[in-house]
Amino acid sequence: MSYGVIGIDSAWVIPALCAAAFFFIVAFMRLFPPSTPLAKHTPNLSAATSILAILLGFILFWFVLADLLNNGPGALSINWLTIGDTILTWGVVVDNLSVVMLGLVTFVALLVQVYSLGYMKGDPRFGWYFGAHSLFAGAMLALVLADNLLFLYIAWELVGLGSYLLIGFRYEKRSAAEAAKKAFVTTRIGDVGLLIGIILLFKATGTFELSAIFHAAEAGGISQSTLNASALLILMGAMGKSAQFPFHVWLPDAMEGPTPVSALIHAATMVAAGVYLVARMMPIFELAPTVLLIVAIIGLITFTFASTVALVVTDFKRVLAYSTISHLGLMMLSLGAGAVGAALLHLVAHGVSKALLFLGAGSVMHGTGGKTEIWEMGGLRKAMPITAVTFLIGAGSLAGIPPLGGFFSKDEVLLSVWDHRNPVFLVLTLAAVGLSALYMARVTFVVFFGKPRNSDIHAHESQPVMWVPLALLALLAAGVGFLAFSWTDSYRGFVGFLEPDEGFHFVAWLTVLSALLALVGVGMAWLAYIRGAISPQRISTRFATIHRILVHKYYVDDLYQWAIDRVVLVFGRFIALFDRIVINDTGVNGPGIAVKLSALRLRYAQSGWLYTYGLFMAFGFVALALIWWLVLA
Amino acid sequence: MATVDSYILFIIMALPMAGAAVILLIPGRRVAAIRWTAAAVALAVMALTFYAFLAYDHDVGGFQFARTWTWLELPGPWPLGFRGIELSLAADGIAVPMVLLTGVVMFTGVLISWKIADRPKDFFILYFLMLCGVFGVFVSLDLFFLFFFYELAVVPMYLLIGVWGSSTDFKTFLRTKEYGAMKLTLFLVAGSVLIWIALIAVFAEGGLGTFNLLALRDAEFSNTFQVVFFPFLIVGFGVLAGLWPFHTWSPDGHVAAPTAVSMVHAGVLMKLGAFGILRVAVFLLPEGADRWMPILIGLGTVNVLYGAFSALGQRDLKYVIGYSSVSHMGYVLMGIATLNPLGVSGAVLQMFSHGIMTALFFAVVGAIYDRTHTRDIMVLEGMAKRMGIVAALFVVAGLASLGLPGLSGFVAELLVFLGLFQTYPVLGILGIIGAAVTAVYILRLIAKVFFGPLDPRWKDQTDASPIERFSSGILVGFIVLVGLFPFPFIRVIDTGVTELLARVAGS
Repeated sequence: MSYGVIGIDSAWVIPALCAAAFFFIVAFMRLFPPSTPLAKHTPNLSAATSILAILLGFILFWFVLADLLNNGPGALSINWLTIGDTILTWGVVVDNLSVVMLGLVTFVALLVQVYSLGYMKGDPRFGWYFGAHSLFAGAMLALVLADNLLFLYIAWELVGLGSYLLIGFRYEKRSAAEAAKKAFVTTRIGDVGLLIGIILLFKATGTFELSAIFHAAEAGGISQSTLNASALLILMGAMGKSAQFPFHVWLPDAMEGPTPVSALIHAATMVAAGVYLVARMMPIFELAPTVLLIVAIIGLITFTFASTVALVVTDFKRVLAYSTISHLGLMMLSLGAGAVGAALLHLVAHGVSKALLFLGAGSVMHGTGGKTEIWEMGGLRKAMPITAVTFLIGAGSLAGIPPLGGFFSKDEVLLSVWDHRNPVFLVLTLAAVGLSALYMARVTFVVFFGKPRNSDIHAHESQPVMWVPLALLALLAAGVGFLAFSWTDSYRGFVGFLEPDEGFHFVAWLTVLSALLALVGVGMAWLAYIRGAISPQRISTRFATIHRILVHKYYVDDLYQWAIDRVVLVFGRFIALFDRIVINDTGVNGPGIAVKLSALRLRYAQSGWLYTYGLFMAFGFVALALIWWLVLA
Repeated sequence: MATVDSYILFIIMALPMAGAAVILLIPGRRVAAIRWTAAAVALAVMALTFYAFLAYDHDVGGFQFARTWTWLELPGPWPLGFRGIELSLAADGIAVPMVLLTGVVMFTGVLISWKIADRPKDFFILYFLMLCGVFGVFVSLDLFFLFFFYELAVVPMYLLIGVWGSSTDFKTFLRTKEYGAMKLTLFLVAGSVLIWIALIAVFAEGGLGTFNLLALRDAEFSNTFQVVFFPFLIVGFGVLAGLWPFHTWSPDGHVAAPTAVSMVHAGVLMKLGAFGILRVAVFLLPEGADRWMPILIGLGTVNVLYGAFSALGQRDLKYVIGYSSVSHMGYVLMGIATLNPLGVSGAVLQMFSHGIMTALFFAVVGAIYDRTHTRDIMVLEGMAKRMGIVAALFVVAGLASLGLPGLSGFVAELLVFLGLFQTYPVLGILGIIGAAVTAVYILRLIAKVFFGPLDPRWKDQTDASPIERFSSGILVGFIVLVGLFPFPFIRVIDTGVTELLARVAGS
């Protein structure tokens, strides 16, 4: 079956469309001064351009997928710069990994943008909002298509820019401005590592092309120390973008952006980038087994860390943010077990579910007048039935309730950990799985069940442009897990799709155990927050110290704040002061002052009195005579 | 065309001088006539620099548009005769982008100075004289004239800052414009003394009776001579390039100068120093370069980190930008010191990129200062609400400064890093860390000054005027152009760098 010219060769058009939309919107926004009649249409036109671009991208994705399934992977490369003997190239690759991401990103971005039509209605910067969305989506799409580390890094940084612009969208709010800065700086610190890692690989192989680098690495052309170092440094970049401990601090604050932006950041763009990067670089990580173990450990720490914090957070969006961090940890853990397929399946299942949850949260905020404190809500399922049902599906999926999507993907992850890692990993992971079900059920029960807690809130269901995306996402979140199964001979499960060597298999006891743990977590939440049989207050007073540590998020944010204020800024002020006092006032002004002062003294020698001159002459004569006499002697 | 082309550098260099003469003839009260004349001359110069950039044939390479006039001559063999001093103009792949940079900054600087109320006539005369000097340095092949133009660029700066500048006065910290002007001039003159000593030494040791660079290329300088005199040139030119620890004139000078002069000063004048290192020091004394480059690369690293941390500790907007220039010039010095094609090409591109970017920075800061009459970071807050375009321009400059891909700074810094990793990986890592520190101070500044709730005392501020939008738009255009399509620039720069490095390798 042939699809004519549209296929893998035109995959690059997908990000290019978004980039073109961005430039068009930026140019168009300033074309008409606010007073002209056309100016009032620019916001809608911007939105239309942006949505059209991503919609075309989503349609193109199906052609690319069809071409891939029929004709296998393909790549494209062009020369970018020639300097001396060095040639730098740009290139795109379409293989099973990138096509999965392509589908996820275009789909989620499309739904989020449509949803935003309703959510952002009437915003004074409506047009710019969609411009930034186009940039963000375009950068992420370029990132997943990149067959070249340099190109990947460029897209990577532009994803960071997109997040900066969107998190700081409401820049008049001090907290939004700070959150945007925090996100950019934190990920930038990770990017220092990424760039160094990339340059190390370039130095070892003389190319940025991924296929060539993998080839060289497998042929033993890169020394083990270089492999270890660059894998570790690339991991650092991935940890920054994917909000892994200890780089996670920016993600909870990132909810300062409009809620649909959070949906995008948490589901498809930005945080997915780090997981994708490690998956893409897996051939390098596999040759550096120590680093792969570190990946697993980081993932596990992040998973348990964020799950415990999510238990005590009371801000609706922050709970979801910590839940994202914990699931990203789970994906990293899976990658650390070498299981690209399981990680990507969880990425997709989580992406769909989390987009659903955030859009649901946005719907709740829209319906309640912008409230985010969960203890002010309650009983919302009556006023917002569609939002409540869809949210329930998303939360159930992430909590791992069978047969929703997250259950199957989590199962694949657990399986990979069981297959490839020490049993200790599995035990700790299972414990955290129970916790993740507990916090997810907690937030759902508190918000949607029980009785309304605040009589000032007059909740109402949102309009169709908002709940239709919710419904679509809910369908997917419920059904995405069936991708895991082996359906035909050519499609041997999602894992087999990404890792041809691995077939579809499962371990019955593990599946049952994880389902049981999830149910236990949900049951405990039910007892605590609906039946009232367990009192969370009593538990928190009983374990006051632990509770305090959790509420303060293990003091990580405070530590960083302290380090920035007390170390980095103080050091900057010290250098500035050093420059002023030591280099300038002493080193530069010093000689000047010295000349001035000595002139002040010496000018008294020119007194104009004859006897002083006579005295100096006498001194001089004696001195010369002495020297003459001494030299002679 | 070939004959016209051979005059183009002379025209570019002489046109500002001619413009100054024309403005001299216009009565001082006819301000509009003065402005329009200045703008017309600057536009013509920018167009010509553009033409020169496009007309430079990168396949042929070498020095093009060459033309020589003899100025002083005594026939006969040296030392009885004297080949003499010539006005010899030509440009290679390194000079051509610098000429374009100067043209662009010159034109935008004139537009930014549109509203100058205090003695505009004198201002533009001095401004044009200074730019004549700048162009002269970039295109002169005769060391005597190179030095002459170098001084011509520095001297008007003294008056421009001393008369039209502004002082910084916080309660704990006072810097007057007179102080800034004097310090700048003394430093640059001290630097030029060192340069002059080295040039005379080269002239004498060369034994050819000429200051012509191309002729001196064939002179045999002993290794000892090169090693002894190279530091004179490095320090002499380095002072102008903001080399640590001789950099302190630069933030003080930038801050005190009026907007357009800051733009030329940080945008172009500092590049003269780096250009001098390449054109004179490395070109004539390659063995000395080979010997001394490890020192330069170390000092360049100090520049990067020291400048970045100093910027973090500043309170005055212009001081932040001033120290960021010190930091960014560090990348130029590091790149030059790698002496490999990637690093040096990156350094030259960074010279261009930083010139445009910092000009934009100063234009934006000038726009804020003109309206609010303060540059104190402590009191500026939420300006984006009222000055959306000004804020957007600052953000673009800031993102270019922290090396965001898609903007000019990234390509240049990436090449410098790639060059550094070939020889000094550890310093490359420090350089990349410096870029992260840049992100910290730039984003802190943006968040504090432009974002957050609008401070009520600035609620009546106006956004950028059409002239400001237009001139800044040109600069933004170049930042994006170099960021997305660096090929035309790299192609030209690469020819110049390859020829220069062939000399180093051949020595």
